[in-house]
Amino acid sequence: MLEQENLTQTINRPLEAGYNYFVSAAIIAAKLDQATHIAKQLSLTASNARAVALRAGERAAGFRPLTDFIDRLAEITISSSKKINFLAAILSKTAVTKIRADNAIKHFNLVFEKAHKSPFINSLDKVFEQCKEKQQYLDIQYKRQIGELSEELDMLSSELRNAVILATLSRVEASQAGVEYQDALINVANNVESAASEIKDYIKYSQQIVLTLQ
Amino acid sequence: MKTHKLFENNSHTWIMFGRDDEKPEQIIDSNQYMVVSKNNALLMDPGGIELFSSMLAAVIKQVPAEKITHLFASHQDPDIISSLGLWDQALPCATLHSPWIWESFIRHFGMESITYDAIADVGGEIKLDNVLLEFIPAHYLHSSGNFNVYDSEAKILMTGDIGAALESIDAPLFVDDFDQHIASMKMFHQRWMPSNSAKNDWVNRVRKLDVEMLCPQHGRIFKGDDVKRFLDWFEALEVGLIEKK
Repeated sequence: MLEQENLTQTINRPLEAGYNYFVSAAIIAAKLDQATHIAKQLSLTASNARAVALRAGERAAGFRPLTDFIDRLAEITISSSKKINFLAAILSKTAVTKIRADNAIKHFNLVFEKAHKSPFINSLDKVFEQCKEKQQYLDIQYKRQIGELSEELDMLSSELRNAVILATLSRVEASQAGVEYQDALINVANNVESAASEIKDYIKYSQQIVLTLQ
Repeated sequence: MKTHKLFENNSHTWIMFGRDDEKPEQIIDSNQYMVVSKNNALLMDPGGIELFSSMLAAVIKQVPAEKITHLFASHQDPDIISSLGLWDQALPCATLHSPWIWESFIRHFGMESITYDAIADVGGEIKLDNVLLEFIPAHYLHSSGNFNVYDSEAKILMTGDIGAALESIDAPLFVDDFDQHIASMKMFHQRWMPSNSAKNDWVNRVRKLDVEMLCPQHGRIFKGDDVKRFLDWFEALEVGLIEKK
């Protein structure tokens, strides 16, 4: 319950406008890391559901294939979260290098200002050009990596839409499993729904951060 | 940033940079030194990030960037070398000479292009064209891996934190009244320097050198008789103390 409250607080908190790019990327990595943990719990839920459905026998015959879908959903979420985590970590690194390159350019500009009358000021032209080239290269890399990250977040978000259907179908099948197993299977359906909802919140939050990076 | 020529002959020049009135108030003022020979230049303890643009602007007034082929960091402190990541972009072909024990630490400041020349504990030397400069061990004064730079021709010893004083930005470049100057440097040496034996070892080593100017990284330069006065004072000083309030 407390966890859910914390999550709600985090999600509802307005996005801090002052985040540096690399901090934002690190936040995305952290959010998706949390999503991975939830997906692992979802995978456990699928195993439990399979066991309950097996015990329920014929009455829960319709539930058993659903457990495979829950499993698949958990697998996709875990692998996609890992990929997003990896992409966010690379993006964070690129952002740090980009800030350093931007910083170097800023310092060079100050030098050009302070020493513009120096007879040797032109000796900095070559390294300054190299710094600018590096900055441009990093800029392209940065934009490409944001695109990849955004795409992966969209893909996972769309996969999670299936979770609502999966939860509804699970409830329908649970209602036919008899009194003894009904509660346990409805609980599975609820778990699927709440896990998917939590993960979707993390994704939504990450997508908002990505928008601020563009 | 003030620039002052300390020595000049046919083969090389010593230049001091410091008293930067553009630096943020809360950071300690520092002295940077440069030896310029015919085709090369060595920049010593080039300073922190906050100082970089003032420093490069001052240096570029003296020599073209490509002439600065060597950097020296007496030890690993941020006011000594935290600007490394920026020098790395400005002088990609340079070599940094610094204590071997700090290599993996100093690289944290960002070093992709510059070459690290690790100085062994016993010291070493570097030749700038025909000018020989020696790296004199000054370990535990205050850093556990620490070197001075000695030029026997110019009789200048760049001592890093040894001889440093905490003073205002408008302090004179040279010590003019040694006894009065003690007040500005006593606490610094007692609090920062951890070892009496390392200190005495260093004093004995430096007494064997012919030193006309002793140039610390903070505060004023000791010249002529004040060099001996400093060595006598430092030898008698008990270090590794925390002042009781």
